[in-house]
Amino acid sequence: MTEPAATDRSTISGPAPSGPAAGSSAGPADVLSGVRRVRRRDPVPLGAGLLIAVVGCLVLVVMDGSYLGLTVTTGVGYAIVTVGMVLQLGYSRQLAFSQSVFMGVGAYGTGVLETKYNFSSLESLLAVIALAAVAALLVGAVVTRAPGLALALATLILPLFIYQLATFSSWLGSFSGIDGVAPFWTGSDYTATLVQTGIISAVLLGLAAGIVLRVMRSGIGLQLMAMADDERLGESIGVSLRQRRLEVFVLGSVLAAVGGAVLASVQGIVTPDVLSETSEITLLLMVFVAGRKSVTGVILGAIVIEYLTTSTSFISTNLGIIEGIALLVILLVEPDGVAGAIDRLLGRRTDRWAASLQTWSAARLGTRGQAAQGARGGGNGAGNAA
Amino acid sequence: MSEFLNLLAAGLTSGAIYGIFGACLAVWFRVCNVLNLAVGDFAMFGAIGSAWLVQTAGLPFIVGIIVVLAGVGLTAWLFDWVVLHTAFDRGAGAHGIVGVFFYTFGLSLVLEGVARAMFGTDVYGAPSIWSGPALHILDFHVQRAGVLVIGLAIVSGLILWAYLRFTVSGRAASACGESVLGSRIVGIDSAKFRRRIFIMTAVLAALFGIVESPITGYTYMSGPTLSLIGVVAAGFAAFRRPGRAVAAGLVIGVAEAMLGGYVSTSYNDVLLYAILFAIIIFRPEVLGLGPEPA
Repeated sequence: MTEPAATDRSTISGPAPSGPAAGSSAGPADVLSGVRRVRRRDPVPLGAGLLIAVVGCLVLVVMDGSYLGLTVTTGVGYAIVTVGMVLQLGYSRQLAFSQSVFMGVGAYGTGVLETKYNFSSLESLLAVIALAAVAALLVGAVVTRAPGLALALATLILPLFIYQLATFSSWLGSFSGIDGVAPFWTGSDYTATLVQTGIISAVLLGLAAGIVLRVMRSGIGLQLMAMADDERLGESIGVSLRQRRLEVFVLGSVLAAVGGAVLASVQGIVTPDVLSETSEITLLLMVFVAGRKSVTGVILGAIVIEYLTTSTSFISTNLGIIEGIALLVILLVEPDGVAGAIDRLLGRRTDRWAASLQTWSAARLGTRGQAAQGARGGGNGAGNAA
Repeated sequence: MSEFLNLLAAGLTSGAIYGIFGACLAVWFRVCNVLNLAVGDFAMFGAIGSAWLVQTAGLPFIVGIIVVLAGVGLTAWLFDWVVLHTAFDRGAGAHGIVGVFFYTFGLSLVLEGVARAMFGTDVYGAPSIWSGPALHILDFHVQRAGVLVIGLAIVSGLILWAYLRFTVSGRAASACGESVLGSRIVGIDSAKFRRRIFIMTAVLAALFGIVESPITGYTYMSGPTLSLIGVVAAGFAAFRRPGRAVAAGLVIGVAEAMLGGYVSTSYNDVLLYAILFAIIIFRPEVLGLGPEPA
């Protein structure tokens, strides 16, 4: 579950080159329908999403509401945010640092709607998703206009003033925040409540991972990849840069808000800390140390770093040093993080896949071209069979 | 009038803090296109380190300052030698936009962790270099440490501006940021400039932390916030103009103080950052970054 598998590239690029070889039998409409057909059958996003949800549920059930279970459930909340960041920062290289703000929108939105307007958990979750989408659309419409470093600067300023706003707003509970946020699914006792809320959180995580993988493995994913490599190249092949930037920003922000809602629901309280730059730093570490292009990596990274942060051992006391050194080593040795290093060890690097696929495609196209030429030369339709 | 002048004094003091960090960031970015997100942590180390050496270890103040500045310079050199040299001179590791932010971000985390391990979570303030009651000039009241802070910021900004604009060395340093390959072809050692200016800005930030800490006090967590406001000030100087970064910092600081004095004491920061945000979004040309070429 790293970058889109090389097979996807064949999915998109495969049928098009086969056009000439197919000669009279396959027109553009057939090619497009072929592409759509193959895309629809792509089992990875759904399978991965289901797997993540099922494994998450099983793990949380086994932990049975223990302290570790609470930590993992909190980590799942962060993981939903980081999964969105894979698309934004890792895959599209959109230099936006506003995830903690939207995490706060989700957390505070849930808190306000539940404690002040008596929304149920489900209602507040749906409302928060809608609210975050609208807010991200409005903010993104202006923010994504900013070029390169200006976008980074604008989104760095966002947490500064939103944090100040939350700390001085009595309506948002000022420094102490909002207490009494209800869990997603209330059980008979604390343990059951934690397990059940964890199950909902794991399902949301599976859903988020499925959506992100679906985008990454689609034609839009390829457009995003082209944009990330070279915006001018992307534009020259017809990619609408502003539209794609906005879409990525909105999706990442909505997932961040869902993660915030999960955190509020699990912890029962929302404080301004969720909006602070420290929160954004933690999220960045979860993404960059674990592997900014790997959905699986950032999920595990979020849970592990949350565990390390809350543990009372030597590690938690010196976490800053450990995280900093780990980040530097990873940047120097393997910029794609721990997930990238594991992929390298297992020989599963997507760039290798891409290289081997290119070789395979080139050989295949060559064969087809020769066959087609032979067919034309022979005056029959043998090329179609190739 | 008295209120205005006192707000101006407070604004210039906080603006000088923004400006000096902005200048440190801008001058180094100009040389190697990397943002020094650890600049605030160097200031924190300067402030807390000197306070600890003087108040706990009992060293004379001037010796404490020298030891801390030497330690910060050594740390900066070591980081350049181990990390930046490997990344940028040997071509290993992450580059592009990841390199712009995350190498020094890693250093910031390490420095913060080390400071916590060494000095704990207490608030520290170095002894005042120029002690005594606040200065009164007509209705203008300003703390002596504040005068030093403003003076140091303005002098540093002017020196950095003059260095880059009028000296051969400064122009060579700027050339490194324009093109590493091109500068190497004409015989400029880009690694040397990157290293020297990184060490110099780290020491300058530490010195500034020592001068400024009697006003605000520092904890091990003070660094990232200072770096962040430095990034904001540097952003309004196209990340490349240290003199303009100091000016931008002073304007931001004065605007913050005036908003606090005349609009809302609670929401002055909110309003300030909202205004800055709006400027970045709607008038990005003010930053000097401009739109990306089509």
